[in-house]
Amino acid sequence: MVTFVTFISLVVKVLVSLGVMPKLSRINSCLLVIIIVINAYIIAAPFAPTTWFWWQSHHSQQRTQLDQKAHRQKVAKPQPNSVIIPSTLLDQPILEGRDTYTILNKGIWRWPGSSTPDKNGNTILIGHRFTYTNPRGVFYFLNKVSVGDEIGVTWQNINYRYKVSNIKVVPPSDTSILNNTPRPTLTLYTCTPLWWPKDRLVVTAQLENNL
Amino acid sequence: MSDKTKFWVLLVLLFASLALLWFVNSNLSHILTDQFH
Repeated sequence: MVTFVTFISLVVKVLVSLGVMPKLSRINSCLLVIIIVINAYIIAAPFAPTTWFWWQSHHSQQRTQLDQKAHRQKVAKPQPNSVIIPSTLLDQPILEGRDTYTILNKGIWRWPGSSTPDKNGNTILIGHRFTYTNPRGVFYFLNKVSVGDEIGVTWQNINYRYKVSNIKVVPPSDTSILNNTPRPTLTLYTCTPLWWPKDRLVVTAQLENNL
Repeated sequence: MSDKTKFWVLLVLLFASLALLWFVNSNLSHILTDQFH
């Protein structure tokens, strides 16, 4: 620290002796502006996802619809496995694998122990609500889903339409949501509340039909 | 407060702000609260 202060003092003295030192009051003004900008960014960053959602909901024409996507896929090339939730403006690929942390940092992870949409049973999709390095996780807006909302899943080029039947908050120790089900079910799993992930948000949806 | 004092105070604040910025953008906070979220 002493070395650093000495270094700064030396730099100031050299600049003064060369006659290129701007007025100290001007330097202070610049420093103040830089400090304000940095701190404004730090304060505003957590609100950016909500602002983005508000803007997209009110001004964008890109709101994804299940039927539109299904139509696109009928005329398009084979599509990757993906999940789409129109009410949260989510359209993301479903990732597979067993390296939990790596995959969850990339997107939505299908829990390997669960079923798949083409089979009867419980398909479990897990995603981050937020990450510290990237505030908006894939399930950041999952709390905006309501009972009755539609969820679309593309699995091996077949589109499945689910309807949300239940939304609940459970403690992390509650593993009953991992149980298999007799009916084709989709379970979405993430953390809640935002920024203080002490519980888990579980959205359950039942298969309506194939698109 | 003289300009010189203001300068040093602002310099300290600048480095404190940069340290905070680094903290919130780095993996450090993630490591400190390493859990599923």
